[in-house]
Amino acid sequence: MDDLQLLREMRSDVGSAPPATLARGREKVMAKVQASVSSASQRKPTVSPIRFRRRALFASAAAALLVGGIVIADVVRPGGPGTTAEAAEVLNNAAAATIQTSDPVVGPGQYLKIATRSVFGTGGQAANVSDVRWEETTNSQMYVPADRADVWVWNREPRLILDSPSEEAKALPDEVREAQEAEWDGQPEFVGILRSPGGVFYGSEPTVIVGTPLREAASLPRDPRALLDLIYERIKGAGKSPDGEAFTAIADGLRTGVVPADLRAALYKAAALIPGVTVTDRHAMIDDRTGIAIGIASSDGVTGANIVIDPASGLVIGVQSVLLKDYPGYPAGTVTTWTSLRTSVVDFAP
Amino acid sequence: MSTDSEIIRRSRDSPAVFGELYDRHASAIYRYAARRAGEFAADDVTSETFLVAWEHLERYDTSRDDARPWLFGIATNLLRQHHRAEASVLRTAAKTASSEAIADDSDRIAAEVDAKVATGRIAQALRDMAAIDRETLLLYAWADLTYEGIAQAMGVPVGTVRSRLNRARQTLQAQLNLERPTETENHHGRPSAAPRDA
Repeated sequence: MDDLQLLREMRSDVGSAPPATLARGREKVMAKVQASVSSASQRKPTVSPIRFRRRALFASAAAALLVGGIVIADVVRPGGPGTTAEAAEVLNNAAAATIQTSDPVVGPGQYLKIATRSVFGTGGQAANVSDVRWEETTNSQMYVPADRADVWVWNREPRLILDSPSEEAKALPDEVREAQEAEWDGQPEFVGILRSPGGVFYGSEPTVIVGTPLREAASLPRDPRALLDLIYERIKGAGKSPDGEAFTAIADGLRTGVVPADLRAALYKAAALIPGVTVTDRHAMIDDRTGIAIGIASSDGVTGANIVIDPASGLVIGVQSVLLKDYPGYPAGTVTTWTSLRTSVVDFAP
Repeated sequence: MSTDSEIIRRSRDSPAVFGELYDRHASAIYRYAARRAGEFAADDVTSETFLVAWEHLERYDTSRDDARPWLFGIATNLLRQHHRAEASVLRTAAKTASSEAIADDSDRIAAEVDAKVATGRIAQALRDMAAIDRETLLLYAWADLTYEGIAQAMGVPVGTVRSRLNRARQTLQAQLNLERPTETENHHGRPSAAPRDA
């Protein structure tokens, strides 16, 4: 037995938290969370909206200069794909294709089914401290009723471990899963069917971009610059780079699969205006479909977030995270997580 | 459908969603804190971890899908305020096993160390090492973070994590009188206990 195994065993008899203790802690945390929200909403803004907006514009312009320089130096390999201009072209073409492809018609009693399949790499240390990595997948289906105020149905399938390369890689995930299952006893389920009128799951409405729920999608500007400015304003102060956050905000909207075509086109065009957004892969495979990947690097240049678009239809076929630098066991270019989207119209929901 | 970073992004918009992050990770944080500083401290550390996380939600780097390194980092900081509790946990553990250690030691062969005896020595080794080395080692062994996860949790480069782990394990191995793994262990498929240092 080696030192690490012995250490792992030490105090392993200390059990999981009693459910009552966790529930009490949760109450304490959420009470504070709610209190901070209501006090924040009571504060009146001291800056007029116009001045506020102008300030945001200056800030993003400065950030654009900075980040543009860094990202290009870091990510674009000589002769490789990925100039900002090329990304803009792809995104604008996607926007044009989107307009020509009409949204699926969901008749009364029917549902728009958005099936997502996610694969992510995960890992742990085996007893001999070697890194063991494996992939897990989660699938889920969202059923959006013709009248979006009606009940949405969300089916979340359990995590599945994909084929593992080695014996150790087979044993470890089982161990981790057992531990997780034991720990999750008495905890809320993340698997199974959830229903909610208007798609309000866990108290949060489906949103197109931060601050705008899907049902208010019509109120968002269709002018790409105005839309992007609004997004920068909404994400102000969040994350490490405003450009990365803005891109992610757009990707989050697009990946819901329910954004109406005209807004989707505007979101593409807005993404094309974000400095540092490049074509990262012209033939990105995602769940057996090929598309063009458009992405942005994280501020530390370690990871990249991509949206994969079918250039013919202008539809988002998925999103992915890619490593941009070598990491032990993962060469640069490895796709660490991806989620694919498949949309169809169905007559029934579970 | 929801990685941690998605939950965090959504909770910036709808705070109620933050509860999902709690439901997902509170139990692991509690257990980690309880092992280090006892159940009493763990109670506080767990809810404080999430309160601190909530207060700093805007600073979360949403390009990271897994929030565990971040949460364990916060918990580790908070545990520093409970160093007395941790010290007493380790002191007790070191005492319990020391008498057995003397009785049994002569009979033991180096290849097999009784886990009970080892507990006392490990506790002693943990007391002996620098706090940052101990934190690194326990984030690795008890919180199951990867090297990169620990680097994120402690805000240091991966290389620093490697060297801290190396140092911590040397202290541990010295205390356990563990030699480099023998041939016998090798054919159980455990080639080397030596950290793969860069």
